Amino acid sequence: MTLAIQLPQAGLRRYGNLLSPMAWGALAVAAVVVFLSLFAPVLAPYDPDYVDLNNVLAGPGAQHLLGTDALGRDLLSRLMHGGRTSLLGPTIVVIGSTVLGLLLGLVAGWSEGWLGKVLGRLFDLLFAFPALLMAMLAIALFGKGLFAPILAMTIAYVPYVARLAQSLVVAERSRPYVQAYRVLGFRTPWVVLGRVLPNLIPTVGAQSTLNFGYVLADLAALSFIGLGVQPPTSDWGAMIEESRGALLGGYILPAFWPALVVVLVVVAVNVIGEELSDRIGGKLS
Amino acid sequence: MSQLLQIENFTLGFPGRPPLLESVSLHVNDGEAVALVGESGSGKSLTTRAALGLFPGGSESSGLVSVQGLDTLTASKQRLMELRRRHASMIFQDPRAGINPVRTVGDFLTETLLRFDGLSRAEATERAVKQLEQVGLRRAGELMDQHPHQLSGGMLQRVMIAAALLNSPDLLLCDEPTTALDVTTQAGIVKLLREQQQSRGMGMLFITHDLNLAASLCERVYVLRRGEVVEHGPTRAVFLTPEQDYTRQLVEATPVIETGAGSASHAAPGLDPAPLLKVSGLSKTYHLPRGGMVTALDGAEFSLPEGGSLGIVGESGSGKSTLARLVVALETATAGELTLRDVPRPRRPLKASERKALAKDVQIVFQDPYLSLDPRIPVGNAVADVFRLHQKQGRKEAKDSARNLLGRVGIGPERFDALPRALSGGQRQRVALAKALAARPRLLVLDEATSALDVSVQAQVLELVEELRDQLGLTILFVTHDLAVVSRLCSEILVMHQGRIVEQGPTARILEDPGDDYTRNLIASRPRPLWDAEPVTA
Repeated sequence: MTLAIQLPQAGLRRYGNLLSPMAWGALAVAAVVVFLSLFAPVLAPYDPDYVDLNNVLAGPGAQHLLGTDALGRDLLSRLMHGGRTSLLGPTIVVIGSTVLGLLLGLVAGWSEGWLGKVLGRLFDLLFAFPALLMAMLAIALFGKGLFAPILAMTIAYVPYVARLAQSLVVAERSRPYVQAYRVLGFRTPWVVLGRVLPNLIPTVGAQSTLNFGYVLADLAALSFIGLGVQPPTSDWGAMIEESRGALLGGYILPAFWPALVVVLVVVAVNVIGEELSDRIGGKLS
Repeated sequence: MSQLLQIENFTLGFPGRPPLLESVSLHVNDGEAVALVGESGSGKSLTTRAALGLFPGGSESSGLVSVQGLDTLTASKQRLMELRRRHASMIFQDPRAGINPVRTVGDFLTETLLRFDGLSRAEATERAVKQLEQVGLRRAGELMDQHPHQLSGGMLQRVMIAAALLNSPDLLLCDEPTTALDVTTQAGIVKLLREQQQSRGMGMLFITHDLNLAASLCERVYVLRRGEVVEHGPTRAVFLTPEQDYTRQLVEATPVIETGAGSASHAAPGLDPAPLLKVSGLSKTYHLPRGGMVTALDGAEFSLPEGGSLGIVGESGSGKSTLARLVVALETATAGELTLRDVPRPRRPLKASERKALAKDVQIVFQDPYLSLDPRIPVGNAVADVFRLHQKQGRKEAKDSARNLLGRVGIGPERFDALPRALSGGQRQRVALAKALAARPRLLVLDEATSALDVSVQAQVLELVEELRDQLGLTILFVTHDLAVVSRLCSEILVMHQGRIVEQGPTARILEDPGDDYTRNLIASRPRPLWDAEPVTA
């Protein structure tokens, strides 16, 4: 009998009912963090920048659920507001690198000639640059803040998506259904954008989900070394950095909470990403 | 005669689901060759694997499966390993899947001898070489140092047989061992298996979907359908005078060479003297990545009149698929002329407008029903898209046209919104056919379009193609490895070997009186039943 290889089924929602308890947990964690950050202006108990010098480095209590930092600012409120910048960065980077990567990957995978080869080498070249290094380079050029790292990270993460998309397109291109479209006389842009692209979305989506976690950690690291978001804007990485003094003085919590949230979100996103790619990989074999 | 393999009332299934095998009873005696035939999903492989104590994870089974008195359902892991090592061996369909590609044939063959039989390297090598010679491989010594990719599929299957025979098993289980091979290669393997089985007095259980093959190798046969044995007995009796309807259907669906049926020309001579497709000196050469060239097609020359049906027969690597792909412009010729409906084909990739125009002249249906449809697009929309493109129909009109056409190929309106994965292989090929026909082509190329289907489904699809050809006046170019399928559908055939056309002419003439040695070999390689020189006939 002929070996039947199932193509990946498109549409992430089809995997929804198949998620493991672990992935459901991760999804719940991510949802709670996103919800709290998104509605921070309404939900946060305090102004994140309100300095209360009478209440410095307070422990968790009824007044301040997670305690306060060295300037007496409410840690929970800062975490919630910080989430807005901390999550915004990776979101932009992931969307940008996915769109750019898909487009470049499609072009590279579809063109059989020199263009595909040149683009492939370009992706390799980009791979060789660590994302953090690129970000620092961009900061040197454009100055500190959110713009430069996001731009650099977007470019740095393009090859992750593009390489994957390219290899998927190369595989897809030789499949009989795509050849049938050609013989039927459908125009190439219609076939590539209308038919091949949607079939790549689940796999690329899984990769991009994983990327989100890495970008979040990278951006937090940049803020920590003082190159990212500038005070007084709250950001998880910046919060850890600001709490270094307190940490040395024996007050762990101001640095612990943001670090915990970063770890939680990165792990959650990784679990979801792994789960998705497992599902898709499973469908492939 | 003692019972070597004994399966009694064997039932296997997953909890909460209908059983995959139900009360299967089967036995193989010492020195006997027994066939287990059935279509895909009938449970052939499950039954055979059970004999080695291999059960799918999470399954529940009951009954008795015993090899030389060892019950594999209850035996300890140790006893099962002993069984697999000494008493029973298995050969699979794809030899390449069963061998480590980075190790040599010698490593592969001597591994168990060194590890479990305590042989020295020299002794093990000697035994392996002897075994390779026994399975008909020449220069066995050199072969020991080669890697799997340096061997052809047929040679590799011989290596696998040698490995299976190394420990002189009493029972040889063969799971479609020739299905992936060319017919001439298959003939050699079948002969080898028969020789080895008889000279060693081994018991053999041979799984196949091919009744002719079963008849050419085995004295007794079991017919399996949906996990149940529907009929068993001596091969000749079961195939010539089947008692069950299902067996009869299988026998009738098995393609046989028909020298009469296809010979009636469907072309209307005189009406249209100009050929629809004319090919002369057509060649295709591929450049290998590391230099060198391969000539896939070498100076093909033929013409096909409007309404005619031409079969292109050949084994893998004969260039038949290259020819098909050239006709539908998925490849560009290196040399020669191809004229379709008086339009000469340019020797460069087609422009979008040219391709669209060509689509109305020629369409193709591919082999693999699982890959030839877009997995994400409901089948009705897939066909409607073609109507919208070529017949300039609106969304609604196109859907109606698609519904009609799908109905005509046997896909009911309830399946209009189904995704390809919800359809069976046969249904998918019907949809692929409808998609191709929606462009209203004059010429339809079928590239092994029925080869991946079960025989009964293949028979239905072939019938459909015949029907459509007569109704629509289609011209057919049928590319296949199967002489019987071609003889049914085509009035003319063209035999290809190593990129060249070795013979062409009316089907009946070529099948009855082949003029070329290769053609003769191809015809002679078809499996013949043990009791007769002719293939099974209904």
